[in-house]
Amino acid sequence: MPWTFQKLIATTAACLAVLGHSAAAEQIVVATTGGAYEKALREAWFDPFTAQTGIEVVTVAATNAEMRAKAAAMVKTGNVSWDLYLQGEIQAASEQHLLYAENLSEFCKGFSTHTDLDPDACNATGVRLLSNSTLLAFRSDAFAGATPRTWADMWDVQKFPGGRSFPDFNDPWRVMAAALLADGVSPEELFPLDIDRALAKLEQIRPAVALWWKTGDQSMQGFRNGEYVIGQIWMTRAKALKSEGLPIAWSHAASFLVGDRIALIKNAPHRVNALKLAEYWLNTPAAQAKVCEALSCKPPSGAAIKLMSPQARADMPSTTDPQNTPVTPDAKWINANAAVLLERWNAWIQQ
Amino acid sequence: MASVLSRPNDQSFRRPGGSASRYSRPLSLALIAPLLLLLSIGFLYPIGLLIKLSLFTPELDLSSYRKIIEQPIYLSVMARTFKIALFVTIASFLLGYPVALAMASLKRRLAAAAAAAVFIALWSPVLVRSYAWIVLLQRNGVANNAMTELGMVEAPLKLIYNEGAVIVAMTHVLLPFMILPIFAALRSIPQEYVCAARTLGAGASTAFLRVTLPLSLPGVFAGCVMCFILALGFYITPALVGGPGTLIVATLIGQQATVLLDWPFAAALSTTLLIATLTMVLVFRQAFSISKGFASVD
Repeated sequence: MPWTFQKLIATTAACLAVLGHSAAAEQIVVATTGGAYEKALREAWFDPFTAQTGIEVVTVAATNAEMRAKAAAMVKTGNVSWDLYLQGEIQAASEQHLLYAENLSEFCKGFSTHTDLDPDACNATGVRLLSNSTLLAFRSDAFAGATPRTWADMWDVQKFPGGRSFPDFNDPWRVMAAALLADGVSPEELFPLDIDRALAKLEQIRPAVALWWKTGDQSMQGFRNGEYVIGQIWMTRAKALKSEGLPIAWSHAASFLVGDRIALIKNAPHRVNALKLAEYWLNTPAAQAKVCEALSCKPPSGAAIKLMSPQARADMPSTTDPQNTPVTPDAKWINANAAVLLERWNAWIQQ
Repeated sequence: MASVLSRPNDQSFRRPGGSASRYSRPLSLALIAPLLLLLSIGFLYPIGLLIKLSLFTPELDLSSYRKIIEQPIYLSVMARTFKIALFVTIASFLLGYPVALAMASLKRRLAAAAAAAVFIALWSPVLVRSYAWIVLLQRNGVANNAMTELGMVEAPLKLIYNEGAVIVAMTHVLLPFMILPIFAALRSIPQEYVCAARTLGAGASTAFLRVTLPLSLPGVFAGCVMCFILALGFYITPALVGGPGTLIVATLIGQQATVLLDWPFAAALSTTLLIATLTMVLVFRQAFSISKGFASVD
């Protein structure tokens, strides 16, 4: 009862604050990818922030690629209406990124002494929200004895018969990297990617691929209707399938770790408030823990990991278990070769 | 009899240029000026910027166009895009013409029902219609289940994520754009023309082939051009029901614009598509006037 009462007061205060300040434009516009992701961010981060500061957080939904193009267009035309936007760790590391996003080096100096944060949690390109993996997921009811564990197992159609699925959404490095690991390349020598070798290895699995998925929903639907039994999909989607009650399991031994950052657009209309929001995230392990509890991700703060439930910690991509450490991609190489990767991929995939 | 004879005179106001010639030239210009202004600001100016972006970075730079010609993938994707658009246009025509003909000849209530069916298809979102095809064609979908139950196939067929599925789904989306112009053209043909042909001894098929069909050609032309051009720019449907083999130009442009942020190259691809499309429209026009499609109407 006291909790509800407190909540009521907090919400009322927040509403009043928003009402009172709306004329003074006390708000921040954040572009997110929407859906469950945004819901988690809002509950754990935006709403508590609004309750504390009275600054309203307005969200705009877009896909990652749209965000990139739109942010670029806003800065180029000088008509900026966003403050913060999400970017994948790899895209954020590209040279183009800092043409449209403000360099946060100065801001990050304030966090250099925060020992609970990952060393690169805050850098020039933005503030890390969380890290997530793309991994091997499979239907556990499809295999009686041994279950697939590595990328080589995914290629082994004798031992693990059934359909396969890989992503085909304009970002081909993770499929090529999986092929190379399956072909025996060690994770240390993975980058620079040997594209010819990767495509040759992919040629072997091509007949077994039932679906090259383009959206997260597609990657889930194929597991539901039995189109395939092993797929390279996002961890969040694998987890969602399991929550639905489907017999889905996954292997962290075959996974890639990719982070998401929140970047400050150049000439942001509410720059100061936006930085306050970013600061709140880095300083509040409880908010990070709550988000990653919902999304099975790894938060940038070690203190946040301690606040998570044992189950959520077990599902989270680990960086301490040597048997199950996800491979971290070489963002610099991927960016430098993005055009070539895409061109080779397009030529191969459409054959 | 009198009404039949008087009808051809009523036609005179439908002749191209007939109504415009009633107004003086300055007045005609003044009337279309707002639209011209809107088109220049909202359409011609951005296209000009796009073409400029593809040519100047900031000094004259033809490397984007060179890349399109030198890398075989771009021309092959362009060719596939045109092939799919052509098949979709042909399929839309073959399926759409009988529907338009039926709509034009049906009695009032039935015609309204047929029109409603076409309009509901037109107004439902493309996304919904594309997902409907996924439900029908997927591995455990309606089509596969029915065929397996009936013993027509042993294992489920791969009906989706290929070029065939893209053509079927796109035809479904574009059919109204074919039906409506043909319907409009057919409705403007006076019934008496067909009666006259029949009176002069033509059979039903001869009357259709020599009177109705030629007179409906402007509608066919409009429908085909609309379907073809819209099909060239399709993005969502091929992404949802297509597979890796159905890479099309719109997808490539999207990749360059959003993933690689290489806007000059995206603009070069768009410009190439635009020029190719305009060329096709001109060829279409030429083909139709050679076949006397317009001449026989005027």
